[in-house]
Amino acid sequence: MKVAYYPGCTLASKAKAFDQTARWVAQKLDIELVELPQWQCCGGLVPQVADAVMGLLAPVRILADAQSIGDRLVTLCSFCYNTLKRANLIIQQDAERRQKVTDFLEQQYDGKVKVVHMLELIRDEIGFETVRSKVTRALTGIRVAPYYGCLLLRPSKEIGLDDPEDPTVMEQLLEALGCDVVDFPRKVECCGSFMIVNRPEIAAQCSATILRSASNLGAQLLVTSCPLCQFNLDWQQMRMLESNGEISPVPVLYFTQLMAMAMGIEPYLLGFEQHLVDPRPAVMELRL
Amino acid sequence: MKQSTGREQVARTDEIPIVLTEEARKFVQEVIRRSGERVDWCYQCGKCTAGCPVAFAMDIEPSRIMRLVQLGQGERVLKSKAIWLCVGCQTCTTRCPQEIDPAKIMDTLREMALEKGYIADREVVTFFKSFLDNIRKFGRSFEPMLVLQYNLKSGHLFQDADKGFVLLSKGKLPLRPSHNSASVKQIFEALEGRKR
Repeated sequence: MKVAYYPGCTLASKAKAFDQTARWVAQKLDIELVELPQWQCCGGLVPQVADAVMGLLAPVRILADAQSIGDRLVTLCSFCYNTLKRANLIIQQDAERRQKVTDFLEQQYDGKVKVVHMLELIRDEIGFETVRSKVTRALTGIRVAPYYGCLLLRPSKEIGLDDPEDPTVMEQLLEALGCDVVDFPRKVECCGSFMIVNRPEIAAQCSATILRSASNLGAQLLVTSCPLCQFNLDWQQMRMLESNGEISPVPVLYFTQLMAMAMGIEPYLLGFEQHLVDPRPAVMELRL
Repeated sequence: MKQSTGREQVARTDEIPIVLTEEARKFVQEVIRRSGERVDWCYQCGKCTAGCPVAFAMDIEPSRIMRLVQLGQGERVLKSKAIWLCVGCQTCTTRCPQEIDPAKIMDTLREMALEKGYIADREVVTFFKSFLDNIRKFGRSFEPMLVLQYNLKSGHLFQDADKGFVLLSKGKLPLRPSHNSASVKQIFEALEGRKR
């Protein structure tokens, strides 16, 4: 299966471990990820503002480039996924804005590329049974809490990846890997997002609530698909662990890191050294 | 409509008409027109406030913002800190029983506040401007410069110095920006040319 792949800025910098393990897992699942030859920032949150012809230029440029590779564009970062998928809907539904944007970019694009998240691709096209069949070291005996955050799920009418209040795609994946899945009530709560820059004390409170809940429920790992959630929860956790004994460590992994572990990746390729809260002690217990 | 006695009118507040001034009415209509959202459908159940992850830090909670908009209290709403604290997580939008999109209304209010020059939270605007500048220069987000520019402009000179140090030591921060900025610069220049 050949699909276009848009890594996005953070996967090329802060979240390299996400990118590396995703490529490794894709290969195991016979998915050929073809990275766009030239790509720039998708615009992040900016395209979501009301009058967004300008904001559409960046995502549509990416979508238009993808159409020469295939009919689908895969992303991993929740921000990029949300931005590209919503921009694509506008292009499909709003002829006037489509005209303006394509005239400006001097590229033809009519919205026909399908934006898919890696989790969607795994659930809908690869199937969890196939994932299970590729597991060589089942992750039994480790309690993992799935954490979705906001942008992977909402606004649900436009994103539609899963139930916005009680999603299950990550639970199903974790089960296929053999994990002991924690029923996590705060799995769709916001981590504080970009406020880590302009209002760090508020973002810290948002993240702390999620971390306390995960720790109280005895989770040993948190799993996410968003580099910003990963950073916020990792950063805040490091500070909480340094300053008080309120929580026990719940290292935050990307779902592809866990998949790669179960499918037998060489440990040094997991990128654990990039984490602020070291996942190795929790993972060691698995004796892989 | 059923005729009622004076006594009943006092007891049933839903029948007391609320008269908006012309200015207030215009504000309500402007918000509805720009957002495309029927803010007048809000019946104050409070679900948006209950689910909002940052309501604890807001001067006016989301449901009260909705009510103030209904009442045309433009100045109070546009000068609030709350509209700048909303991160757009869309929990309210997902849960609104009237299918209103409060996150979109917040976005509309920010836009209107910017036009009027009311920025109760300068940091977030500085952050977004620094972010766009960063993309203009490098094509992709190059965080060391983004943080540097934000800190200089916001005056918080050493904010995030701790994060920068930790990230650098973990190999998470690139030392050089990536390529592919020429064509992005062209897009920005063409856009600005068009605006003038």
